Amino acid sequence: MGDLFVLAISCIFINNILLAQFLGCCPFLGTSKKMETAVGMAMAVVFVLVMAGTLTWMVDTYLLKALDVEYLRTVSFILVIASLVQFVEMFLKKSIPGLYAGLGIFLPLITTNCAVMGVCLININEEYTFVQAVVSATAYAIGFGLALVLFASIRERVNLARVPKPLQDTSIGLVTAGIIALTFMSFKGMV
Amino acid sequence: MAQSLAKEFTKGLWAEIPPFRLVLGLCPVLAVTKSVENGIGMGVATTFVLVFSNLLISLLRNVIPSKVRIACFIVIIATFVTIVELMMQAYTYELFLKLGIFIPLIVVNCIVLGRAEAFASKNSPVMSIADGLGIGMGFTLSLASLGAVREFLGNGTITVWGGVPIFEMGGNFLPFKFMIEAPGAFVGLGLMLCLMNLIGKK
Amino acid sequence: MREMISMVVVLTVLTAVSGGLLAVVKSGTEVQIENQVLKFQKAPAIQDIFPEATNDPLAERFTIKTDDIELQIFPGKLSDGSKAIAFETKGGAYGGPIGLMVGINLDTDEIVDVRVTTHAETPGIGSRAKEDLSFVSQFSGLKMDTNFALKNGGGVIDAMSGATITSKGVSVAAAQAKEIYQKLKPEIVKQMK
Repeated sequence: MGDLFVLAISCIFINNILLAQFLGCCPFLGTSKKMETAVGMAMAVVFVLVMAGTLTWMVDTYLLKALDVEYLRTVSFILVIASLVQFVEMFLKKSIPGLYAGLGIFLPLITTNCAVMGVCLININEEYTFVQAVVSATAYAIGFGLALVLFASIRERVNLARVPKPLQDTSIGLVTAGIIALTFMSFKGMV
Repeated sequence: MAQSLAKEFTKGLWAEIPPFRLVLGLCPVLAVTKSVENGIGMGVATTFVLVFSNLLISLLRNVIPSKVRIACFIVIIATFVTIVELMMQAYTYELFLKLGIFIPLIVVNCIVLGRAEAFASKNSPVMSIADGLGIGMGFTLSLASLGAVREFLGNGTITVWGGVPIFEMGGNFLPFKFMIEAPGAFVGLGLMLCLMNLIGKK
Repeated sequence: MREMISMVVVLTVLTAVSGGLLAVVKSGTEVQIENQVLKFQKAPAIQDIFPEATNDPLAERFTIKTDDIELQIFPGKLSDGSKAIAFETKGGAYGGPIGLMVGINLDTDEIVDVRVTTHAETPGIGSRAKEDLSFVSQFSGLKMDTNFALKNGGGVIDAMSGATITSKGVSVAAAQAKEIYQKLKPEIVKQMK
C-alpha cells in the first residue's frame, strides 16, 4: 500500500505528465485560455485515461505478450484508444447527456492527446502490475488536470495584463508554463 | 507544376513552419530538444513518417471511405512509426535510448495526422511528398535550432552528431542548468516564438 | 449496406497489410537489435565486472531455459583461474525497472562485482547508482547467501542518501539474482564445461 502511495505521489507531482514529461502539451496550450474549457478537458482526460490505461494494459498482457507480437504495440494501442474514445462518446450521448454536453467537444481531441498514449506506453515500459498500472493512470490523469487548471487560472490573469505584442498569446503562455514547471521541479528528490 | 511543387515544399520551411507558425506537435519539440543531436534525430524520424504516410494516404485517397478515414490514417501512420522505431533500434541504438517513448508517440503527433487530413487526402501523391518533405524539414530545423539554444545555454556545448561536441565554451562559462531541464524547454520555445513574431511583423 | 461492407473490407485489408509488413521488418531487424542491446547495454557492464577475463564472455554467452525463466549467461574466466558467470536481473524503482548485471564466482559463491545496466531515474539522483561506484561496490565480495536488503530492511547494504527507492531497486535485483543463482547453479555448471 505504501509503495502505491509513493507511486501516486511521484506520478502527480514529481513526474508530472505535462510539466516534467511534456506529454499532452497541445491541449495544455489549446484549452487553457478559459477556466471552463480547462476543467472540461481535465475531466475528459481523467475519464478516458483511466479507462485507456486499464484496457491497454490488458491488451498488452493477455494479447500481445501472449502471442509474442509486441512489435504491434503502437498500432494496437492507438486503435484501442481511438475506438474507446468513439465508444465513450456514443455512450455518453445516449445515457448521460448532461455529462456529454460538458465533455462533448473535448472527447474527439483526446485521440491525439499524447498524454493518453504516453501513459499507456509508460505503464508497459515500467513493467507495472495491473494494480500499479491503474494507480499510475489515475495519478497521471490527476496530475494533468491539476497542471491544466493551475495554468488556466494564471493565464486568465495574464490576459488582463499588458503583454508586449510579440510575446502575446502562445508565447507568453509558454513562458508562464515554464515558470510553473520550475515550481514543480522543487518536488524532485521528495521520494 | 514545378512552381507549385516548389511552393508546397518551401511553405513548410517558413510560412507554415511547425511548431512556430503551425502550433502543433509541441510535445516532442519540448521533450527531445535537450541537444541538437536529439532534435535532428527526432526531426528526421518524423519527416520519414510524414513523407511515407502522406504518399500512401494520397495514393489511397479514393479508396478509403470517408467515414472511417481517420481510423485508416492512424493505422497507416502507426505502421510507419513502428518501422522507424525498429530501424532506429537496429541502427542508431544510442539515439533510440535517448528519444525513448517519443518515437512511438510520433503516432499522436498532431502534425502528421494534420497533414494527412488537411493535405494528403486531397492532393496528388507527388504534391503530398513535397508537402511532407517541406513540413518535415521545417520541423527538423525548428527542433535543431531550439536544441542548439538549450544545449548552448544549459550545457555550454553544441553537439550535432555522434556525441562529440563541435563547439565547447571555455572553463569560465557557467551553464544555466535549468535550460536543459523541463522549464527551460517552455521558456526557450516561448522566447523563440516571440522572436519569430518580431521578425515576421516587419 | 454497400458502404458498410467497403468500410469493413478496407479497414481489414489495411490492418492485415500493416501487420504483415511489420512482421517482415521485425524479423529482418531482430538479430541486429539484439547485437545493439549487447553492445550498448551489456558489454560495458561485463567489461567492468570482468576487467581481466582471459576469455571473451560476450562471444561465449549461452542461454538457459527452465519452465519459467529464460536467462542469458556470460561466462568469464578470472585471472586466478576460477570460473565466474554474469547475468542480468531486474528490480523496480520509481522511474522504471533497474537492470543489474551481477557477476558471481562459481568456485567461491562470491559476488565479483555488480553494475547497473539500464535505468530511467531522475538525472543526478537515481542515476548515481550507475555513476557512483561506491554504492554498487558494496556488493563485491559478498557471499551469495547474504541478505542483500537495505540496512533498514534487515540487510547489509547502505542506501544512497536521497535515493532510497533506487537503492531499494538495486537490492531487489540483487536478491532476485541470488534466488535465480541458487536455483540454477547445477544447470549452469553443467553447461559451462
